[in-house]
Amino acid sequence: MPSKDMIGRVLSTGSATVTADHVAGFAAALGDTNPEYQTIAPPTYPIAFMTQAMSGGMDTFSELGLNFMTLVHGEQEFEYVRPVKVGETLTLTGRIADIYEKTNSAGAILDFVVLETEGKDPAGKPVFYSRNVLISKRM
Amino acid sequence: MALDAKTVQVGSELPSLTKPAITRETLKVYGPAAGDPNPMHVDDEFAKNAGYPGVFAHGMLSMGYLGEFLHKAGGGVAHVRKFRARFAKLTWPGDVVTCKGIVTAVRDEDGAKVVDCDIWTETQNGERKIVGSATLAL
Repeated sequence: MPSKDMIGRVLSTGSATVTADHVAGFAAALGDTNPEYQTIAPPTYPIAFMTQAMSGGMDTFSELGLNFMTLVHGEQEFEYVRPVKVGETLTLTGRIADIYEKTNSAGAILDFVVLETEGKDPAGKPVFYSRNVLISKRM
Repeated sequence: MALDAKTVQVGSELPSLTKPAITRETLKVYGPAAGDPNPMHVDDEFAKNAGYPGVFAHGMLSMGYLGEFLHKAGGGVAHVRKFRARFAKLTWPGDVVTCKGIVTAVRDEDGAKVVDCDIWTETQNGERKIVGSATLAL
């Protein structure tokens, strides 16, 4: 089970460049033909970009002790200062914002982990924030 | 048609968006494009072993549909300020997803008309699958 001591821990920091091909592939997978995607990314694009930029966070993530067999994505939130631009390099920092548990109607204990990610441009200005709630059932 | 800043009010409906039926191919394409390698969405045996009747759609696929619905309602991606979704129920291959929303608050902020909305997806039976909220600057 995740220890509350891990609240506040940085999960990972990493940079990646938003490429035209990656954005076009993501938009095509959603069937969203918005012509704006020549220059900016779709509103949910950070989810694809995060896996690219933050692959170094797996060790800390494993340390959480979540049950991967029952892990589900419970909630997702994005907040934008401005859209993500094609061609820019963003630095992402992921942090464990909260850990808590609930008991479901069947009496099983559910572990909740809240991950917050901030995306900044090369000048250090924030571009977007993401909040990701993961839920796993304790066996 | 996007929401009109001059006429929008609490209770205004966002223009709904209906996507083509989700197929297994939709899921095979979305996973790699989103960097999500989870076999739960492409491998029926894997999904059955985990206690599901078969593969189901990525929650983020439906949230992506809501993203398209919001930039259309707001008049462009830059108008989407904030958006959250709770993945309440699973969406399956064969489901037709429609994105809907309603304005819950309207205010003026730095010369822009800003609206809060309740948003959700529902499938062909009218069942709500993911529910959330959004803030658009018109």
